[in-house]
Amino acid sequence: MALSVTQAAVSQVAVAVGLVLAAIALSAATRMGLGRELAVVALRAIVQLTVVGLVVTLVFEHVGLAAAFIVVMLGAASLTSARRIRGVRRPLAVAAVAIGAPALAALAILLAAQAFPATPRGIIPVAGILIGGAMAAVSLAGRRVLEELEDRLDEIEARLALGASARAALYPAVKRAVGTALVPVMDQTRNVGLVALPGTFVGLILGGASPAEAARVQLTVLLSLLAVELAAALLLARLVTAAAVAPGERVVPPVG
Amino acid sequence: MALTLEHVDLDRSGRPVLRDVSLAAPAGAVTALVGPSGAGKSSVLRCLVRLEEPHAGRVLVDGGDVRDLDPCALRRRVGLVAQTPVMLPGDVRANLAYAAGDVDEARLRGALGHAELDPAFLDRPAGGLSGGEQARVAIARALVRGPEALLLDEPTAALDPARAAAIAELVRRLAGEGLTMVVTTHDVALVRRLADRVVLLVDGAVVGEGAPDAVVARWEDEPAWR
Repeated sequence: MALSVTQAAVSQVAVAVGLVLAAIALSAATRMGLGRELAVVALRAIVQLTVVGLVVTLVFEHVGLAAAFIVVMLGAASLTSARRIRGVRRPLAVAAVAIGAPALAALAILLAAQAFPATPRGIIPVAGILIGGAMAAVSLAGRRVLEELEDRLDEIEARLALGASARAALYPAVKRAVGTALVPVMDQTRNVGLVALPGTFVGLILGGASPAEAARVQLTVLLSLLAVELAAALLLARLVTAAAVAPGERVVPPVG
Repeated sequence: MALTLEHVDLDRSGRPVLRDVSLAAPAGAVTALVGPSGAGKSSVLRCLVRLEEPHAGRVLVDGGDVRDLDPCALRRRVGLVAQTPVMLPGDVRANLAYAAGDVDEARLRGALGHAELDPAFLDRPAGGLSGGEQARVAIARALVRGPEALLLDEPTAALDPARAAAIAELVRRLAGEGLTMVVTTHDVALVRRLADRVVLLVDGAVVGEGAPDAVVARWEDEPAWR
């Protein structure tokens, strides 16, 4: 038994590293220029998950450490998204609000309804999924809304010149940014179980839960994500566009 | 409606765009802004509808500072048609209705007619129209709220001579109906045909202002200003 586990572990690492190396080779052969970034993200993932694997036992046992862990997750997610909205004033704070508010609100509702046990073991994975989803939505919404402000300023100004308020003139940009940001979670939800078995479901099954139980938990997370990602993208797009409104119903895009 | 700039300075990204610009566009007249590219002609129009905020000086509408007016209301009273008009998504009707704030068919047809476009254009996708047609739709869109002044940025730049002449006639006719018209242009023939007054801008400063013949002569004397 012990031997077979070790063999599985060795094969897992070997195959996964091998596939990343293959991806790097493919990137080099096709001159996609992604080799360096692939190597860096793979190494980061290895280091991060190893560390998490080591500390998670501790975190699961102490509520204080669990809270600190959520703060770290939120901080890391905010830093990641903030890089997508560099031109905006105080990008880190904007990203933190757009990610944190919807994710933590949904987490509070789920815990208040006792959908998950209010223990570190119950909170941490759900918080991670919600924060991760909000981060993805905020990054996509941020990139798109800045593109809109830069590339379609003439359309925004055409609306202003026709007597629209700055907020009304920016509405199409917000709408397109939110629409773009929700594409992945929409597709994921639409195809759940058909194209891919999502992580929570797989994890619970591997951990010994019944398929029905796993499906119920996965659905709870997935449907919560729809609301969290919509709120996060909307909040981000509103914060960024509001910062671009200048006195006199004018729109001045962030420079950067 | 009389439009006035008083000692206006405007900077963009730290670079001066307008320097101590004073000029007047009298009510019901056609005022032409002429001068080389980059002289600040478009910026003057943008200041008049408060799409730019001068760093010094005042912009006046009928003697009142534009900063005391609601910007949205100001932009409905003073229409601006950009050099390359941006068509909003959808058909011509959607474009006019966006400006009108409603879809009163008679009003939309009236505005189209004003810009000398057939009502059949209402159902055409705006993005698929020719440059000349888009220019007219942009004028109709600016007229649909019944403005008191119309600012046209290089309205004939992309048009052939026949269409340019038609736009010039339209500008004269709108002025005849009492609209205050301000037109920027490079086109000497157009200025002679339609302007009541001419303002010559060079490097963000006014170097000539007055009756067309005198100012145009000055403009034509200096090849660097053309």
